[in-house]
Order: sequence, then structure tokens, then C-alpha cells
Amino acid sequence: MKRLRETSWLIVAVPSLAIVVWLFFLPFIRSAVTSFQTEDGAWTFQNYITAYRLYAGDVLYTIFVSGVSLIAVLIIGILVSGFARIYGGGVVEFLFKIPLFVPFVVVGHAMRVFLAPHGLLNSALAQIGLVNLDNPPSIAFSWVGISVALAWKNMALAILLILGAFESVGDTFLEAARNFGAGWFRQVKDVLLPMSLTSIAVAAVLIFTSMLASFSIPMMIGSGKGAQMLMIDVYYRIVYQHDYGVANALGVVSYITAMGAAVYYLRSVTKG
Amino acid sequence: MKRARIVRIILVVLISFIIFGPLSSLVIWSVAEKWYWPHLLPQQVGLFYWGKVFQGRMMQALQVGVLIACVVTVLSLIMTVPLGYVLARFRVPFKAAVLLIFLLPQAFPQLPVFANATVYLYRANLGGKVPGVILIHMVGALVYAVWTMTAVFKSIPASLEEAAINLGASRIRTFWNISLPLAMPGIIASALLIFLYSLDEFTGTLLVGSPFVLTLPVFMYNASQGYELPVASITALLLMVPGIILLLVLERYLKAEYLSSFGRI
Repeated sequence: MKRLRETSWLIVAVPSLAIVVWLFFLPFIRSAVTSFQTEDGAWTFQNYITAYRLYAGDVLYTIFVSGVSLIAVLIIGILVSGFARIYGGGVVEFLFKIPLFVPFVVVGHAMRVFLAPHGLLNSALAQIGLVNLDNPPSIAFSWVGISVALAWKNMALAILLILGAFESVGDTFLEAARNFGAGWFRQVKDVLLPMSLTSIAVAAVLIFTSMLASFSIPMMIGSGKGAQMLMIDVYYRIVYQHDYGVANALGVVSYITAMGAAVYYLRSVTKG
Repeated sequence: MKRARIVRIILVVLISFIIFGPLSSLVIWSVAEKWYWPHLLPQQVGLFYWGKVFQGRMMQALQVGVLIACVVTVLSLIMTVPLGYVLARFRVPFKAAVLLIFLLPQAFPQLPVFANATVYLYRANLGGKVPGVILIHMVGALVYAVWTMTAVFKSIPASLEEAAINLGASRIRTFWNISLPLAMPGIIASALLIFLYSLDEFTGTLLVGSPFVLTLPVFMYNASQGYELPVASITALLLMVPGIILLLVLERYLKAEYLSSFGRI
């Protein structure tokens, strides 16, 4: 009887659980199962073979773009957070919170008009003679554009998480380092960074997964030609070819990549 | 410390350029009536497109989007306030399993899952309709809400509730008169973020709603792909307004743990 009363709390959980199970958990399972099926429901590996043949390059491209953006975000994030931790955040910290509140689609569109061949950045650089407008470099519509947009959007989150970790390092450690003559950079590199490595690894995994899964930014800024981000392939496969088999196989690849990042993180935490 | 001040000034200028550069091109495009390269600024500036946007389908998309966001926010709060309280206060069976289900959507890419969820919604005759879009928004909103509500109730000292119970109040009465009022600031903050999430949601809306249900982000995407750059830029600016207001008003109250999960969805 007691058992029954204890489980009655689930009544409160049922409505929200029902929605998340119906529209996330079950579709998640479905995508994994149907990736091994033909349209008639027979079991097959054909979807994965097709996915490998057509999209192996795109998988590597996605990991490459996300990796480059992640490294850029981490380097800037650590430097800015280090500066803010030692000298105080103020305006710098506030400015970096702005991208957190700019929707993904808006970031995509803003970067597209900013970085286009005849966009604002090239026009401004042309004024000071850095860019030749007769043959302007196209940053948008290439992997650099996607990388810049992803890095811009995720910078806020990175600084929020890294600065949070830096704040929890006691002042005494920094004072000790200063007493031994450590400058700003040494304090970040030798004190703050080693003491916050776990939190930074968590932030890195979170950000990498979100970049890997990014859809609206490459939708807005991508070129439609050449290599594509993985989520774009999934979307086109479904919308234009109604091919759920191959799309779901690509989906499973994206789950495994996201999981790979998480597992790597867990391993490094348990080892350390 | 003089060097630190110089570094700070350089940093602020550099960061301002990085943050506001892309956003400023939206402002310029929104008032550009005629703009041919290689001119740095538009040849003809005016509010022509602003007038056009406010008469057209944008207003409809705005209304639908706000309606959806309101419903999503209210439903999410009704469902997760009691749940967050239970999860924060009691050791109950199956708690780990329930938390795991609410963790899944955070860990895996959304699009492939939502594409399959769309199939279910169409089977239930909800695809391409407002209720379907509300449901797909609920997935992300609920996951976010459960985690923040649990954090909010955990931050209230249990001793205050125990005092009320010792004085003879029932559990329910304690919840209404003690816990809920104390949790109100946290609940309001996360309600605003849920509203913002729903208003900005793109992936689920495109998959489930398109082409019948248009919200602002999807409208903006269509305008941008159709090279209606002034229209798209005005919509983009409008989409930024609620977020910026929220940032200015709530900056001090928004704790890192609420925001970190928000930045992901």
C-alpha cells in the first residue's frame, strides 16, 4: 500500500512525460529502428551503405566545421573569461551575453548579409583598401561563414560556463601566483585553466554537440552547393526525396557522434 | 594597472565590433530602399519596407507566433511547477528514470528526432496545424522547464516548509502559501525564457507547421531565401526585441544555471 502511495507522484509527471515520450523518446527509437529497414519494413543495411557512399564527406565536413568553431570559441572564451576574472567583467561580460538572446535564425541571416561578397564587412574593408571589391572574398556561403556564425552564437554560452568555473577558483590562488610574479597570461594558463579543466570539458562537449546539431544557421548561411552540414542533408533527404531510411541512418550517425563526444568527456573525467 | 585599462578599452572596442557588426548590417538593410555595391551605405534610405512589412503576412505570423508562445508557456508551467517541486523535495521511486527521459533531448540532435515526431503528428492529424506546432514546442519547453523548476525549488530552504507543517498546515497548503510565493521570481524568469524559446523556435515549426503555420522565424527564413533582404532584416530586428528587453530587465536575476541550458535550445 505504501508502495502504491509513493508511486502516485507519477500522476504529476504523466502529462509532461507523455509529451516528451511521444514526441521525443519514441521518434528517437523509431529513427534508429527504421534506419535498418527498407520502405517495406524488411531489415537491411542498405541505408547505411547509401549514407556512406553519398554523405561520408559531409560527416567529416560537419565534424571539421564544428571542431574549428569549437576551438575558436574555447580560445576566445578562455582569454576573455580570464581577463574578466582577474580584472573584473563589467561591460565586456555584458556585451558577450547579447548573442545568447539573439535567435539562431537571426544570427544566420545577420551573418549572411554581413559576410556576403558585397556585404557590410567587405565594403567596410574595401574603404580602407584591404579588400578588392572587383573580386571580393565570399566568406558567407562557405565553411568559414558557418564557422563564424556558430562561434558568434556559442561565444556567450562558453563565456558564461567558463567564467562560472573561473569564479569558483579562490582569490588566494591568484594572489599566490601574483606574488611569484605571474602576469595576467600566466595566471590564466597556470592557475585558472588547470583548476577548471573539468568544467571546460563539459562546456566543450555541450557546445560541440549543439554545433554538430545546428540546423537553422547552416540553413540560412549555407550555399546549397558542395559539402553540407549533416542536419541539412537529413532535412533535404526527407523533404525532397521522402527517404526516411537514409535520413534516419544519417540521424543515427549524428547521435553516435554526439554520444562519442559525451563518452570521451566522461572517460577523461573518471580518469582524472 | 594602467595597462589593464588600455587592454580593456581595446577589448571593448574589438568586442563591440564583433557583436554589433553583424547586427548593424540588419539595421542598415532594414532601411535600405536602394542599395547597390560597391557603396558602403545605401543610396536611398527610408521606411518604405517597414510600412510594407507591417501590413503584410508578417503581422499574421507575429500573431500566430505570440499565441503559440503564450499557450506553450502556460501549459509548461502548469505541468512542471508541481513536478519540479516533487523532484526537488522527495525521494520517490523511478525518479532517476524520469530525469533520464528529460535529459535525452538535451544530449541528442533535435532535427532527426523531430522529423520522425512529425510523422506521428501527421498520423494524429495534427501536422500543419497550430496544436501540432504547440506540441512540438512543448518538447523543448518542458525539458527546459523541468530542470529549471527543480533548481528553483531546490534553492528554497526546506526548513521554511517544515516550520509551516509543524504549525499544522497541510502539505498542499504549505505548497500554496510558502513554497509557491518563494519560488515566484524563479518561476517568472523561466516563464519568460520559455516564452522566448517558443517565439524563436525554428526547426520544429518548419517541420511540423510548414507551409500552413507560419511563425516569425519561418517567415524570416522564407523572406531571406527569396532575397527579400529588407523584409527579412526588419523581421530579424523584430525577433531580437523580446530577447534584448529580457536581457536588459532580467540581467541581474538570470542565474548561470538557467541560462546554460537555455543557450542550447
